[in-house]
Amino acid sequence: MYNKNAERRRVLKREWKNWALSYAMILPAMVFFGLFCIYPLCNLFHLSLFRGNVRNPYKSFRGIQNFVDLFTKNPDFVPALKHTAYYTAVVLVLLISLSVLCAVWLSKDRKLNHFAQSAIFSPHLVASISCAFVWSWMFSSEIYGLFNTILNAIGLKSVRWLDQPSTAMNCVIVMNVWKNIGYYSLIIMSALKAIPTEIYEAADLDSASPIRQFFQITLPMLSPQLFFLLITITTGSFMVFDSIRVMTNGGPGNSTQVLCTWIYEYAFLNNNSLGLASAGGVVLLLILVLITILDFRGLERKVHYQ
Amino acid sequence: MGEIVFHQVEKSFGSNKVIENLDLTIRDGTFTVLVGASGCGKTTLLRMIAGIGPATSGQVLMDGKDITDLEPGKRDVAMVFQNYAIYPTMTVRENIEFGLKNKHIPKEVRDKRIQEVCASVGLTEYLDRKPNTLSGGQRQRIALARAMVKEPKVFLMDEPLSNLDAKLRVQMRVELIHLHKQLKTTFVYVTHDQVEAMSMADDIVIMDKGKILQQGTPEQIYHDPNNTYIAQFIGSPAMNVLPLDAENRFGFRPEAVQLTREKVDGARYCRKGVIQVREMLGSETLYQVAFADGQTVSVKMLNDQYRSGDHVVLNVGDNQLYFFDRDGQRIRRAAVGDAQYAALLQTAGGMSDV
Repeated sequence: MYNKNAERRRVLKREWKNWALSYAMILPAMVFFGLFCIYPLCNLFHLSLFRGNVRNPYKSFRGIQNFVDLFTKNPDFVPALKHTAYYTAVVLVLLISLSVLCAVWLSKDRKLNHFAQSAIFSPHLVASISCAFVWSWMFSSEIYGLFNTILNAIGLKSVRWLDQPSTAMNCVIVMNVWKNIGYYSLIIMSALKAIPTEIYEAADLDSASPIRQFFQITLPMLSPQLFFLLITITTGSFMVFDSIRVMTNGGPGNSTQVLCTWIYEYAFLNNNSLGLASAGGVVLLLILVLITILDFRGLERKVHYQ
Repeated sequence: MGEIVFHQVEKSFGSNKVIENLDLTIRDGTFTVLVGASGCGKTTLLRMIAGIGPATSGQVLMDGKDITDLEPGKRDVAMVFQNYAIYPTMTVRENIEFGLKNKHIPKEVRDKRIQEVCASVGLTEYLDRKPNTLSGGQRQRIALARAMVKEPKVFLMDEPLSNLDAKLRVQMRVELIHLHKQLKTTFVYVTHDQVEAMSMADDIVIMDKGKILQQGTPEQIYHDPNNTYIAQFIGSPAMNVLPLDAENRFGFRPEAVQLTREKVDGARYCRKGVIQVREMLGSETLYQVAFADGQTVSVKMLNDQYRSGDHVVLNVGDNQLYFFDRDGQRIRRAAVGDAQYAALLQTAGGMSDV
C-alpha cells in the first residue's frame, strides 16, 4: 500500500514537472501576446465607452452612445465603411484572380520565368510607404508625373489620377495589388508545383480540355491556399492605412477615407473624440471577426485538405 | 481490335537516348507484360502508347493507324498509373465519370456503365466517398474502374500493384487475369517484377537499356532464354551460371537439380558439394551448395531432407543444361549443330568430380 502511494506521488511529480516546463516555454510568447494584444484590446473596449482625448481619455462616461453616434451623427464613418468595403472587394477579386493567373504562368519552367518570378516578388520587399511614394510620383498631375507624361506623349489629355474622387481609390488599389501580387503568386505557385503531374496526364487521357482541367482539377487542388488568401487579403485590406495616408490622405474630399484613416483622424487629429475612434476600432474588430467566422462556416467545407 | 506496332521508335530526354531503333508488335487481345529493371525504357514505351510522352522519332501504330502524334484523349486507351493518379478533390463517382463527361456521353449511359463497373470491382458502396477516406486497395480499384468505364481498346498499366501489400497484390493479380479474360481487350502491363510477368502474361517482352532482349510466352522465356540476362532475370532463385571453358559459360536452374547422396545414373554434370545455407520455405527448400573449388550454386528442392553441413551430390541432366557464349548469348543446338553441341555437353560432363 505504502509503495503504491509513493509510486503515485512520483508519477504526479513527474507530470507536474512536465506541465510546468511546457508552460514555462510558452510563457515569453504569452507575455508578449498579453501585453501587446489582449491588454490593448481590453483598453480599446474600455476607451470606447468614454469621451476624451489622448491626454485625458476618460473625461466623461458615455456608455454605448459612441456606437450610436458612429452610425447616426458622424458624417464620415459610414462613408469610410463603404469605401473600405469597396477597397476590400476590389482588391480581393483582383489579387486572387491575378495571383492565380500569374502563378499558372510563372510555374512553367522557362528561363524568362525565373527572372519574372523575382521581378514580380521584389515589390513585396520594399516598405509599403516607399511604394506609395513612388506611385504618388507616377500618378502625379504635376509635370513630372510618369503616367501623364506618357499620356501627353501619345497625344492624350492628362488625368488627375489622385486628385479626383472618381479615380483616387482605384489608383490606391492598383498600387496595393502591384505590391502584393508577387507574394500571393508565390504561395499559389508552390501549391501548383505540389500537384502531381500524373493527375494532369490522367486528365489528358480522360480527354479533359485545358480549361476544364484548370477549373475541375487545378482550382480545387488550390482550395486550401485560396482560402488562406481569402482570409488574409480580407483582413489585410480592411486594415489598409499607410498607402492611403501617403498617397491621398483620405482625400480628395473624403473619397478615399477608410476605416483606419478615419480612426487615426478621430483619435489623434480631432479633439475629444478618442472614445469615438475607439468605438470605430471595436466596430472594425467585430466586422473582421464576423467575416472570418462567415468564411470558415460557409467555405471551409468546400476546401480540400490532403 | 487493339494491335499496337512500334516502328523504328526512338526516344531521348535531352541528349540522353533512352530508346533506339525499337520495333515491337503487341498482338491484339493479348496480355502483354513489359518487364525489365528500372530505367530500361518500359514505362517510356507505355507512355508512348498513351500519348503522354511522345516518341522523338519513329511511328506508333494502333490497328494500322498512325497515332504517333495523336492527342491522348483521342486514342481509345485507358491507363492505370503506379500511384493511381486519382483526382483527390472528386468523389469516387466523379473520378470514374470524369472521362465520360468530357466525351459528352449521355447521363443514362454513364450511370449504367458506372453501375456495372463498380459492381464488378466492388466499389458500389463507396461511390460518394472521397478517395482520401479509402484504403490503398480501394484506390487501386478506383483507378481500375476509371479505366474500365471508358471501354478502351487498350488498357495500359504502369506497375499498378507495386503500392499494395503482398497479400493484396497476389489477389489483384488473379483479378486482373480474370478481368482480361472477361474483356478480351489488349492489356499492356509494365512491371519490374518477374513473378507478375510470369503469372499474368500471354506475352512477355523483356527489356534492358532501351532494347528488347526477348519476346515470347512465359514458357518460351523460361525454358528457352536468349541470354544470361534473361535466364537470370526470370525464375527465382536465379539460374546458376558457371564458366565452362576459356570462352563459354553454362547454366542450370536451381529447380532442375537433383540433390542426392550418391551420383544419379544418366546425369551429365555431377559435383560433390556441402550444404552451406538451408532456407526452409514450407512448400520448398532452398539450399546454397558449395563445391570444393569454392563456387556456390543455389538449389531448390520440394523435399527437405538435408541440413547445413551435409555432404551431397548435385546432378544435372542433359536437357537441363544451357550454354552461353562469351557475350552471354545463348548457344542453341539448332544453331551450332549436333556435333558441336555434343562437344559442349561433353565439356560440362568432364567437369564432374564424382
